[in-house]
Amino acid sequence: MNKRKLKFYIKIWSIMARNSFLSWLNKRSTLLIFITGKLIRYAFSFGFLYFLVKNTNGFGVFNANQALFFAITFLFIDTLGQLFFRNVYTFRQLVVSGDLDMVLVKPVNPLFRVLLGGPDVMDLITLPPILFVVIYIGSLLEPSILHTIFYILLVLNSLIISASIHIFVLAIGIITLEIDHTIMIFRDISSMGRIPIDLYKEPLKSLLIFGIPVGVMMTIPAKAMMGIISFWGVFFSIVFGISLFYLSLQFWNFALKKYTSASS
Amino acid sequence: MQKYISIFRISLQQEFIYRLNFIMWRVRNIIQILIFFFLWDSVFRDHHQIIFGYSKEKILTYAFLLLFVRAFVMSSRSNDAAGQIANGDLSNLLLKPLNFFKYWLTRDLASKFLNLIFSSFEIAILFFLLRPDIFIQFNLLNWLYFVLATLIAIFIFFNILMLTNFVPFWAPETAWGAQFLIIVIITEFLSGAFFPLDVFPEVVFDILKFTPFPYLIYVPIKIYLGADISFIIQSFAISVFWSIALWKITNLVYQKGLKVYEGVGR
Repeated sequence: MNKRKLKFYIKIWSIMARNSFLSWLNKRSTLLIFITGKLIRYAFSFGFLYFLVKNTNGFGVFNANQALFFAITFLFIDTLGQLFFRNVYTFRQLVVSGDLDMVLVKPVNPLFRVLLGGPDVMDLITLPPILFVVIYIGSLLEPSILHTIFYILLVLNSLIISASIHIFVLAIGIITLEIDHTIMIFRDISSMGRIPIDLYKEPLKSLLIFGIPVGVMMTIPAKAMMGIISFWGVFFSIVFGISLFYLSLQFWNFALKKYTSASS
Repeated sequence: MQKYISIFRISLQQEFIYRLNFIMWRVRNIIQILIFFFLWDSVFRDHHQIIFGYSKEKILTYAFLLLFVRAFVMSSRSNDAAGQIANGDLSNLLLKPLNFFKYWLTRDLASKFLNLIFSSFEIAILFFLLRPDIFIQFNLLNWLYFVLATLIAIFIFFNILMLTNFVPFWAPETAWGAQFLIIVIITEFLSGAFFPLDVFPEVVFDILKFTPFPYLIYVPIKIYLGADISFIIQSFAISVFWSIALWKITNLVYQKGLKVYEGVGR
């Protein structure tokens, strides 16, 4: 992608983001209710884990700070995914109504439009406090600079994996007209990353590593920060993320050819 | 009575129309139980350890009972009433010779009946796969109190949900927002559906027990696990008080709501 094209897409994204934020600002009372709800949920989830690890000094082989860091890393990556890919939740309506035609005829990559077209203002508001907690608990682990770099790289890799899964969901949506449940299944399964996947028993553990890559997305970045993942572990995780992204693009192209423009 | 039996039957059929929705709700419940189960399983290093007053077998029993009690208490169709009020569809129901509360309670019971059957199967499968050490209650009185507490929980939850459903009488645009905040967040967390409430510091727990929320999930399970008689008596006293108070408030708010209902959209 050349520099001019990149600038073009950044501009498009900022316009879409602004429109999304403005539409939420028109529903201020609803926005306030949802943000309050999200903050209460975070406070309860994290409060529970805090009281639990304070009494038990961690779980499994992980100490209290490590246990909390797994949980906050999950929350951070999950919120990042929601912030960027929220538009996927509205995709079904475009397909069943045939309005996807309007997206396809525009001189913008349709995948870019449907994947990144509606950033979530609520997650933008809740992200800074989450990031603050990530930095605070992360600092308690006393990581080296290299481990911190690994962590940042692997969080970006998690975002790529999250994008790939959302693209798979979009493609399945075109073929089957089913979006809501597929994305909720992914979200529910990914919520298992709240605790390190090492704690699950087989065959669930393997499923979370090789099937739906919750382990690579949620557990490995936190482990890298703790210095318990080797360079090769980081390398293969990134190779995995890029490969999955490539496969998702191929699947999207395949699915797009199946679009029938019904109801339009 | 016959018309409500018909509604029960039709509701059961309707649940099967939205099969995927139903399966998804069950899948979500199982995942939450799995997280709960493995988290606590990893916390206990040996079988003699006691954490927050729970042995390993008691906390794993809590996880399994959670699947059952949650399915019975919190599964409902009456959350659709909020949307009906917001978009004016309530007018259709008001024109029929049906009692609003009995109609929704019947639909809820149909949903609970189905969820109960499925959760029993799920418990059996999870038990077979995970093979946990669980606590079996041999005291028949505790079983009786457990059933009674669960029935009270159903009634309290119905009233909390109904009160939340009535928010759109005054603010139609917040139908889903109110349910998200009160039912999905506050009720679920404060009822013990995510973790036993003993985890909270004592002062927080002492305040919580005077609210209706612990009596939805935490108290019935705690009674099964062998709570002492003073806890049981206190719990029944407070939960019966809340049942009556919430029922009165729900009726009052409904009557007030009907007076401002305009059937917008119809």
